[in-house]
Amino acid sequence: MSRYMAQVGAIMWKDLVLELRSRERLTSMGAFAVLAGVLFSFSIDTASVRTQDVAAGLVWMTLVFGGLLGVGRTFYLEAEDGAFQGVLTSPAPKDAVFLAKTGANFVLLFAVSLLVLAVFALFFGVSVGANLGWIILVLGLGSLGFVALGTLFAAIASGTSMGETLLPVLVFPLLVPMVVYGVGTTDRLIAGRPLAEVEGNIRMLGAFALAAVAAGAVLFRFVVED
Amino acid sequence: MKTDNVSVAGLRRGGMVLTLIGLAGLLLLFWLSFFWVSTEIRQGIVQRIFYVHVPAAWTAFLAFGISALCSAVYLWLRDDRLDRAAACAAEGGLVFATIMLTTGPLWGKIAWGTYWTWEPRLTLTLLLWFIYLGYFMVRHSTEDPEKGKRFAAVVAIVGALDIPFIHLSVLWFRSLHPQPVVVKPEGPTLPGDMLTTLMTGLAVFTVIFFGLFLFRYALEGLRAEADLRARQSTA
Amino acid sequence: MTSPGGPVLEARGLAREYGPVVAVRAVDLALEESDFLTIFGPNGAGKTSLLGMLGGAMRPSRGQVLIQGQALSYGDVEWRHRVGILSHRGFLYGRLTAEENLRFYGRLFGLSDLDRRVPARLARVGLENRARFQVRQLSHGMRQRLALARALLHDPDVVLLDEPYTGLDPSAATVLRGVLQELREWRRTVVMVTHNLSQGLELATRVAIQVRGRFAWEGTGDDIAASGFEALYHEVVESEGGARAPAGVATK
Repeated sequence: MSRYMAQVGAIMWKDLVLELRSRERLTSMGAFAVLAGVLFSFSIDTASVRTQDVAAGLVWMTLVFGGLLGVGRTFYLEAEDGAFQGVLTSPAPKDAVFLAKTGANFVLLFAVSLLVLAVFALFFGVSVGANLGWIILVLGLGSLGFVALGTLFAAIASGTSMGETLLPVLVFPLLVPMVVYGVGTTDRLIAGRPLAEVEGNIRMLGAFALAAVAAGAVLFRFVVED
Repeated sequence: MKTDNVSVAGLRRGGMVLTLIGLAGLLLLFWLSFFWVSTEIRQGIVQRIFYVHVPAAWTAFLAFGISALCSAVYLWLRDDRLDRAAACAAEGGLVFATIMLTTGPLWGKIAWGTYWTWEPRLTLTLLLWFIYLGYFMVRHSTEDPEKGKRFAAVVAIVGALDIPFIHLSVLWFRSLHPQPVVVKPEGPTLPGDMLTTLMTGLAVFTVIFFGLFLFRYALEGLRAEADLRARQSTA
Repeated sequence: MTSPGGPVLEARGLAREYGPVVAVRAVDLALEESDFLTIFGPNGAGKTSLLGMLGGAMRPSRGQVLIQGQALSYGDVEWRHRVGILSHRGFLYGRLTAEENLRFYGRLFGLSDLDRRVPARLARVGLENRARFQVRQLSHGMRQRLALARALLHDPDVVLLDEPYTGLDPSAATVLRGVLQELREWRRTVVMVTHNLSQGLELATRVAIQVRGRFAWEGTGDDIAASGFEALYHEVVESEGGARAPAGVATK
């Protein structure tokens, strides 16, 4: 067990160090988050629509598209010099590899989701203060579900001749429950509604994230097999 | 690789018989639903589309179910026949889902005044349609066909696991958004002749699906055999 | 560690197809301790696929690989401790330092003495002064030496080499030759795939010529007088129609 954790830790550490040194994905996802916020502000007539009412949906859309941008690259970074084959032929179990890569992607996307939240609070004047902790929890659960599915399907997409362009086709239909519950919950939390109203939704988000992580851990071995 | 000629011929014969029965049944179903069954009072003539719509939906779900099940067992046993069955069922599923997705809005336009509504079953079918679009896209875009099979199986399994989440979330979503008209597509108690027609439709569509499925499965068997011969001839 | 006598690395009826394309067909193999097998063959003969299956990087379509009499299951991980793979690609991360790359793989292999092992291995391939350089800043030859250290970091019993000399500069080739010599002294089992005859024959105790997926010719060190082997090689390849096989079809 401790060896398993060491292997997960080693791969996660490696992914995060690589990201910190290249800042490739963090930069593009971060810039995307801010720029999407800018574009959204120009695309909404604030005279007729209250930004409070649409903010939740926009936050989640930014998260989904931005996440796709970063998670989709995760296996292309590995392909350089065949390094991922070195990982796959090592004694690290495939589920450990999946959990580690999902974990590293989660750290990235969660950071970006906080940035998205800050951008919307700033540009749209959305007040998130009342339920900030809960909103962050909801974004965290959403990010986790997203990266679990995203990592599994990014591995599939990178193994096809179509590459990254295939990823949205594969994951968007699967992400519908996450978006429904995520937006619905965030919307109510921003509006300052009582927690009891969203408790069930948060549980569903958690269940979705857990199911996605478990399915990915089991199925990943069939994807990376050669 | 157990695809000897006898079994392929048998499959084709079976497919032929089932398809012919199904097509004859289809004529019966059309007669029943156009001339025999009584018109539903509140919705009028348009309600008759349900004798096609509901069986198509049922068959699509059955087909996707078979596909996901075969996919899961394929990853476990790695028997090519399971993969072929999964792919053939998925194709059938796509066809019947398309029927479901075209007849639904046609009815909706008249009954609800709008082509599209996020009715839970309609939504689920639409998403499954896209999931299986992805299924065929990954299947056909790998250099190594074995890899394509595994990828497709993973898509089918994750899609099946997602169904309860999709269903619950769409139900919840809908509970917040009032619908244009509140008419239940089919009441809990259908009058006898309507029930008979609906049941006929379900049986007919199921038979047609299995007929086409056997045809497709036999064809894939022949294709696998051709691959095998191509390999042997290069030996 | 190795039981004396029995074969260390064994293949039984190993075959691999990509749809209608056959890469490897029915290869049998039994290598004992300190055997050094070199596999020659034209492009597209399926050498890399064969090596991939022996190293557990690829699942066979049919047949079995056994290490010390135990059949490998593709999904198991324990036997992977005993196999080292060196390809012409380095399996190195460009933005990690030389030391970090070795430590990373060391942790994946569950090695506990990395603080001693990593510096020692870096010194062995002459990179002790480059430990803190990122791999992308190293010269091509240095990278290849590091890749060699990486492949052998966990002291595998079975070493698989895929065209290890390809693109090597003279200094790296010297280090590689020295390391291969050592592997032989340590009685490791080595399989090397190459199309360079002189480098391939240098240390080989056994030789095979793979054409169109199967071993068309096999021999031991005694059979091979280096001068006569080249003619033999061409004869075998041509008689098997290997020259007509579309090049590159089955290369991974």
